[in-house]
Amino acid sequence: MMRALRYFLEEALASLWRGSKTAFIAIATIAAAFFVLGGFLVVTANLERLIARWQEAAEFSVYLRDDSTPAQRTAIEAALRDSRLVQSLDVISKDDALRRFKLHFGALAAASGDIPDNPLPASIEVRLIPNADAPQVEALAAKASSLGGVSDVRYDRLWIRRLTSAVGVVRAGGFALAAILVLAAALTVASVVRLALISRREEIHIMQLVGAPLGYIGGPFVVEGLLQGGIGAALALAVLWVAFSFLSTRVGPGLAATIGPTAIVFLSPLMSLAILASGMMVGCIGGLMAARSAREIAD
Amino acid sequence: MIEARNVSKLYSRGVYALRDLSLKIDKGEFVFLTGPSGAGKSTFLRLLLRESLPSDGALEVAGRNLERLTPRQVQTYRRSVGFVFQDFKLIPRKTVLENVSLVPRVLGAPVSTQHRKTFQVLKWVGLQHRMNAFPMELSGGEQQRIAIARALVNDPILILADEPTGNLDPDLSLDIMNLLREVNARGTTVVAATHDRELIRRVGRRAIALDHGTLIDTDERAGRDEPASKHDARA
Repeated sequence: MMRALRYFLEEALASLWRGSKTAFIAIATIAAAFFVLGGFLVVTANLERLIARWQEAAEFSVYLRDDSTPAQRTAIEAALRDSRLVQSLDVISKDDALRRFKLHFGALAAASGDIPDNPLPASIEVRLIPNADAPQVEALAAKASSLGGVSDVRYDRLWIRRLTSAVGVVRAGGFALAAILVLAAALTVASVVRLALISRREEIHIMQLVGAPLGYIGGPFVVEGLLQGGIGAALALAVLWVAFSFLSTRVGPGLAATIGPTAIVFLSPLMSLAILASGMMVGCIGGLMAARSAREIAD
Repeated sequence: MIEARNVSKLYSRGVYALRDLSLKIDKGEFVFLTGPSGAGKSTFLRLLLRESLPSDGALEVAGRNLERLTPRQVQTYRRSVGFVFQDFKLIPRKTVLENVSLVPRVLGAPVSTQHRKTFQVLKWVGLQHRMNAFPMELSGGEQQRIAIARALVNDPILILADEPTGNLDPDLSLDIMNLLREVNARGTTVVAATHDRELIRRVGRRAIALDHGTLIDTDERAGRDEPASKHDARA
């Protein structure tokens, strides 16, 4: 078994070396396919992390009518406090709202002085428990909006859910594109290995005549495809890492200030290994397709 | 050793390469297949190599009916047969050592066995000193000796040679034939196809003459024990 594997590996390496130009095309195609796949995985994984963080920090705001009565406000607060989904409440008065506005929007603060009355409503900011069930939170928000004295309810998770759906669409599109590229890569590997096979037709014929087992005839082509796939996927990961490092040094600090210091991460080691293994598998499939031709020559 | 019974080979375009051929070749015999181009010599060798099957009749080698072999049995059978071709069929990118050791290597022999057997046959054909050369660096005669070494490395019971001297001058042709006679003297059955009647006369072995796929003559003649000399060849 080990002798056979050694033979396959030696023959595959020699064939790669001989046909280095065509092998480069196959490796580059695989690298491009897995770069796209890896890129989508990095982007979607980070977006999902971000959404998860936002979901954890999610809250909804209940805006009160200016003419709401103290009794109504007490009833609203009580209704919210009674829910097991609510971790804490923060009551923001109209004056507090204006102070916040001036703090966050300094440039507009001067203009707000021209308005005689404070236009901002009082509100209750509701902080939810971590991993609160989204449909239950939506039900609570709907219940709050129906209470007397409430003018509006803004629920963050609605747009987070929309964002999640959008990420899902992006991911599906990315995977579809990557799947097409990976298929193209497999076909390229098959073609390149088949070229190597045609150049070795005579050798295959000789092997056939000496009674070589079919595995010995096809094995080197499978290993050649596997090596091309592995090298291509490793190259894709390396380029992806360089691109990620470059971008994270450029845009990382800005993002970190906005969404947190550990917001963007590269692919996990397990995911990187999975990409490497997938590359080898794709190459292996291409090699198998070519090896089948070798067997047809032998038959 | 070899028995053909009413063997015919019909190609798809309706041409008979062999027609109703019956013959016997004994174990340990050295037999020439002769006849003009298109006589069916190479077709018969291809049938013996189990590269193709007879359209009709039966062909047995060492008690095996070649038609009934499974693909795995074909592999096993071919390991007991050595072949030599006119165009040598050496792999140009491999050295002499690699070309000859390819056979034990793909049959899964340990490296030490591969090297020992390869060195033995290379020494036997007198080319052990060229083991690191590539085929293109060798003369035609040397290349054919390497091809014979490759045919012998797995200790075959049968050697099939298709015009083994077709690309060689008369002196080298005789050298190669003497080498095949030595192979035969070790007990290996040799079947060599050639259209060179003069060479057959000098080597002095039974010749089976074919023409248009049919047997026209099987010349029983006593083989000479001593190798034919180059002097004789030039006479």
